[in-house]
This record gives sequence, C-alpha cells and structure tokens, in this order.
Amino acid sequence: MHISHIVPWLVVPLLATASLLGLSGPAHAADGDPVVRVGTEGTYPPFTYVDPRSQQLTGFDVEVIKAVAKKAGWQLKFVQSPFDAIFPALDAHRIDVIANQITINPEREARYLFTQPYTYSHGVIVTSADNDDIKTLADLKGRTAGESETSNWAQVARDAGAKVKSVDQFAQAAALLVQGRVDAVVNDNIAVLDYLASTGSTKIKIRRDVEGEVSKQALAFRKSDKALRDQAEKALAELRADGTLRKISEKYFSADVTVPNSGKVKVKGSDTRNTAEVVRDSAWPMLRGVIVGTIPLTVISFLVGMVIALAAALARMSANPLLRLPSRFYISVIRGTPLLVQLFIVFYGLPEIGLKIPSYPAAIIALSLNVGGYAAEIIRASILSVPRGQYEAATTIGMDYAQSMRRIILPQAARIAVPPLSNTLLSLVKDTSLASVVLVPELLRKATDAASSSTEFLPVYAFAALYYWIICWLISLAQNRVEARLERFAV
Amino acid sequence: MTATTSSLIEVRGLHKAFGDQEVLKGIDFTAEEGTATALLGPSGSGKTTVLRSLNVLETPDAGAVRIADASIDFDHLPDDKSARRREIKALRARSGMVFQSHNLFPHMTVLQNLVEGPVLVQGRAADEAEVDARRLLEQVGLAGRESAYPAQLSGGQQQRVGIARALALKPQVVLLDEPTSALDPELVGEVLSVIRDLAQQGWTLVIVTHEIRFAGDVADQVLFLDDGVVAERGGAEVLTDPQQERTKQFLRRVLEAR
Ligand SMILES: Nc1ncnc2c1ncn2[C@@H]1O[C@H](COP(=O)(O)OP(=O)(O)O)[C@@H](O)[C@H]1O
Ligand SMILES: [Mg+2]
Repeated sequence: MHISHIVPWLVVPLLATASLLGLSGPAHAADGDPVVRVGTEGTYPPFTYVDPRSQQLTGFDVEVIKAVAKKAGWQLKFVQSPFDAIFPALDAHRIDVIANQITINPEREARYLFTQPYTYSHGVIVTSADNDDIKTLADLKGRTAGESETSNWAQVARDAGAKVKSVDQFAQAAALLVQGRVDAVVNDNIAVLDYLASTGSTKIKIRRDVEGEVSKQALAFRKSDKALRDQAEKALAELRADGTLRKISEKYFSADVTVPNSGKVKVKGSDTRNTAEVVRDSAWPMLRGVIVGTIPLTVISFLVGMVIALAAALARMSANPLLRLPSRFYISVIRGTPLLVQLFIVFYGLPEIGLKIPSYPAAIIALSLNVGGYAAEIIRASILSVPRGQYEAATTIGMDYAQSMRRIILPQAARIAVPPLSNTLLSLVKDTSLASVVLVPELLRKATDAASSSTEFLPVYAFAALYYWIICWLISLAQNRVEARLERFAV
Repeated sequence: MTATTSSLIEVRGLHKAFGDQEVLKGIDFTAEEGTATALLGPSGSGKTTVLRSLNVLETPDAGAVRIADASIDFDHLPDDKSARRREIKALRARSGMVFQSHNLFPHMTVLQNLVEGPVLVQGRAADEAEVDARRLLEQVGLAGRESAYPAQLSGGQQQRVGIARALALKPQVVLLDEPTSALDPELVGEVLSVIRDLAQQGWTLVIVTHEIRFAGDVADQVLFLDDGVVAERGGAEVLTDPQQERTKQFLRRVLEAR
C-alpha cells in the first residue's frame, strides 16, 4: 500500500468537515440589526412551548423576549434546548440570552448577568392525589422528587433532603409523579396550574406553597455581554412603564405576575386537545422532523462515514505505521465510547478549545465519525475475506494497487459487506435520535415537543416509533435489492 | 549475462528464504523463444516460488531475472521506490500467469475477465480488445460462453478461461503453475490439449506440472528441482533416462502413483 493512494480518501472528508466548520451563526443580519439568539426549552408551557395548532414557538417568556427585541432593535433567533443544556449553550456562545423562567439565585448571579425580574412566582409542592404523607417541604426528606437536574427547583428539593430524579422537562416530571415513580415535584406554581388545566388531571395535586420568599425570574446573559444586558434592561423598564408587560401577563395568567404579589393566577391551559387531535396535529411536524432532520442526517452521515470508513480500513491494513496506528486508535476510540459522549464532545466540548460547530454539522460530524469507526472494521474484514489469489491475479495482469482495489477487490468486498453495512445504516437511522440532544430538530425532538405540550406520551411516541420503523423497513427493502444485484454472479 | 543474450528468459542465481527456511538456493536457467520449459520436482522443492519470482509475485533475496528486454537485478534494486516499481511493472508486462486455482474474477463475465487487462492496463480500445478476446475464447473452445460468470463454468472451462485471460495481454511468456492439479481427472485432458496447442503455436511457456507424459510431449527443456536447486536438467529425455538418483526416485514415485 502506498500513501499516495490513501491521501485522496483522507482529504475528502477533512475538507468536507472543514467547510462545515465555517458555518457558525451570523452575528449581524443584512440590515445591521444585531441577531440575538434566544435559548428556550419550548417544552415548558405556558412559558415557552410550541403551540399545537400553529406549530409556532410561543408562551409568556417568548412574548416577553419578542417585546424586548422590538424595543431594543434586535433580530431574534430562537434555539430550542433541553433545560439542562441551556446554560452550557450560553457558555458555549451558541445562544446569547436565556428566556426560560430562569430564577435568580446567588450561584447563578456569580456566573451570569441578569435583568430585573419579569416574573414573580413561588414554588409549590405537588404530589399524587392519594399521597397524604407529604405536607411540607420538610416531608421531602428521604423522598424522591422529579426535577430538571440544573434547575433551582432541583436545588430546593435537594436542600430539603430529597433525592432528585433527573428529567428533561416538566411534563416528564408530571408523568413520573402520575405513574408513582417519584414522590413529589417541586416547581413553579404557574407551570403546575397550566398542567392541571391542560390535562384536567385529578391524579396529582398541589399540596402547598414552598415556604420562603417568592422567586424572581429574569433574562440571563453571559458576564461578558453587559451591553446586551443593558439594552434588555432598558427595554424591560420601558415595557413595564407602557403596560406591555402587564398585558402579556394578563393574557396568559389573568393576573400581573410581572410585579410582586400578583394576586390569584388563573391559567387556561396551553393545551386542551384530546388524543386524536394531538396525534393529528403532531403527524406533520414529526414528518417534517423526518424530512429535514432524520433523513438528511442519516444520508449525509452515512455517505461521509463510508468515505471515512474506507480510508480508515485501508490505512488500518497499511504496512506504514504512520497510517496504521492512527487508524487503529481512531477505530478503538469510536467503538469504545458511547455515541452520546461523542456528540457531547463535538457539540459542547470543542467550543471550549475554540472550535464552535453549529448543531446540524456537529451532529453530522459526530455521527459520521461514529459510523466510520464501525464500518471501517466491516470493510476491512470484507476486504480481507477476498481471496489473496484475486489480488495476485490482478497484479499479474498489470494492475496497480488502486486499480486492483477499485476493479477487483472492493466490488467483491462490497458483496460481503452489504448485510453488515445495512445493519450499520439501520442503527444510524435510530442513532440520529440522539442528535436531539445537540438541538437538531429531528423526529425525536419533534415528538418530544408534541409530547410535552400535550402530555400524551403514548400516542405521540408510538407515532414516532412508526415513522422510524417505516424508514428502516424501506431500507431493508433496498438492501434486498442491492444484495440481489450483487449476488447475480455467484451461482 | 553475455553468452546467452539471445535467450528470451534468463534466470541467474535466484535465492529466496521465508524466515529461516531457504527455499531457493541459487537457481539458474535460460529458455529460448518459442520453447516450453517444464519445472518438475517434489512438493515443496520451490517450483512455485521460481515461477512467482519471474513476475515478482515473490521478491527474490538475490539473483537476477530477465525476460526479453526487461530485467531486474535483485542484488542491486534501485533505492528509489518509483524506479523499482517501474522495473517490476515492466518485467510483469512480459509474462502472463495461469494459476493452479484459476483465480478468475468472479464478479465479471468471461469476456470482462479477458478484456479487463488489455483495456484498463494496456489502454487498448474496448471493441478491439473484445474482438481479440472472442478469438481467444474460440481458440480455447469456449466460443459462446462470453457472458457466463466463472461460477457457471466447469473447472476445466474455468482453467481454459484462465489461460485465455493470460494470453489476452499478448505476453512474451506464459507461466503456468500446475494448471491441472486442481481439476477432476476427467477434465485434465481438455486443459492439457489447449496448452499443447499453445506450444505448437510457438508460445514460450514455463510450466510447473506433475503430468510426466504431457511434459515429455511438449517440453523442449526439463528442469528437475529438489530442495531449492536444479538437481538435473536437459531435454525431454531426462524424463525417460534420468541420471540423478533424486530424479529417478521422484519419477518412480510419481509414475507409481498413477
Ligand atoms: N509465502 C510463503 N511464506 C512462507 N513459506 C512459504 C511461502 N511460499 C512458499 N513457502 C514455502 O517454501 C517452500 C517451497 O514452496 P513452493 O515454491 O510453493 O514449492 P512447490 O511449488 O515446489 O511445491 C515450501 O516449503 C513452502 O511451504
Ligand atoms: Mg507449487
């Protein structure tokens, strides 16, 4: 094997990767207004959620930040993120501000810049309706509570001596509570009221308010973005003065939660649809997730992964240790670490050394590298299973290494490799669901949005499973055809 | 290399070891254009290694090989890698090889097997190479099987395609390594008769074989190898009237086994 034959195989994926790296978000729109990226869950009604009918991101916090942007002359770009990924996203400069009911506390104040509060609320303790053991915060000692790991409510529960079970969003916490998998949930009273109004659930109920002062929620910025924070601060003051804040609040809560002592909050419920409506409404958004997320992620990652795999397989078989050893190391690392960890490293880790990759390319890079590592071993084994005599026959008719690979060895290896590579492809389809953790709007992300706004977990996730299954079924059909084609010479 | 510059093949002082095992311990021979040379000898004596040294499928440790105007001196290989590759390529282009296990390309039809080398490596026009290939198939008795895949042919047919594939490159020498030993006995005849035809048409052949009678018929030169050296050499009469004890023993054993 000669290096010169390997180089083109290596250069292509590197160039592809490099060009993807250049795709970070624009700092300014064409007309000069700063583009401000807003991190928000989109799964925390009524503050931030995807409206089931319009499929638009909406909610109290979303409307507040939109009003702020209008006053401050910002262009907004919303980035949906699970709560536990929101502060890392701010640190990694993937977003510029968090509008997600972020409660001000001393730890956060030490790290981030806050505006004045735009919500005053208080925590409540929620338990299942038939549980009378928990009456106060003190009763949480030794019990389990379902909370977003990095939220202030998790801290409150922990301080009371509870064990915290980590969830991605409030709807999951509520589901765990209904199913009896946690003893209690501590959360914002408004979020709980919305859940009760939306679901009409009588299985859980609010036990009592969390003792202590009201909590205050505000917009959070990076310490280094003081100018941006000051603009928001000024805008909020104006919105408060001209009554806009109060109007937004009354629309959602029939009360002004933007000042202390709001009085009685009434929540209509952000989602009161029945199951059939939920399924009907979520079918198209999930299909969009398939079309713009799952399928392109799969196709691009598989193609790039195959190129990487072929290069790695050939390098791994090289006599030259400078090619062989790095390739062995790469394959070993990919196969020896979870894909989720690889995704986190590419998306959240690399920015810390100055490599900021947007979520879509980040997902493609991580998935391609992952596929490449697994497929490299498949391709290598397939090449090795082509009899040595084939290579010798090619050599004696004068073919060089590249010619014999291309014309003689790889076509025969392909036939051996198709069934295991099809398995890799099927796994990849399903692995794209992990891209939701790096904020790619693919099928699972869409399903989660739909499930959290409706709390209809079973029909929504079953529907998502159906989509995955159809894709995989189509791939198996294609596999049969490819195999039949490749088998035609073997009698 | 002075006295024998007219020979088509010239092999001098070939040495080859695999690990500590010395397999070739100084092989010398020449072969004239249009002759058939038979390599005989017990299993493991180094016949295949000699043949594979002629097209550098094995790289000898010492010695020299020349076929027509292409030669490699393994004692003084060029340091430059690409110069070395050029020399090897030139020597390889002078010979075609027929393998014991045919090694046809299973994913290509018979015709594709034949035109692959001429078109891809020699850069000949596809239609012209195809015309030649069809003629060769006719010559080996396989006209009409152009679009069959190797797996659809009998062992004897496969080996005849293997011979045609070697001829398609118009080499100056055809190397055959036990072309019939992997075949069922009833298929041996058809392959041997094709090789006989080649000898009659004036192809220069180097054949490793255990078919003593066949060797006696076609060989102009017989080399008897034993333990990495040429133990005895001569015309076809070596087979009927061997001088060396080792040759006698070997021939007795082979003939008894028939
Ligand atoms: N690639 C190889 N590696 C190690 N030993 C080999 C290799 N090829 C051949 N040999 C050994 O060299 C000796 C001669 O082999 P070979 O030339 O095939 O003999 P023959 O064709 O006369 O039977 C045998 O002992 C064989 O085991
Ligand atoms: Mg042999």
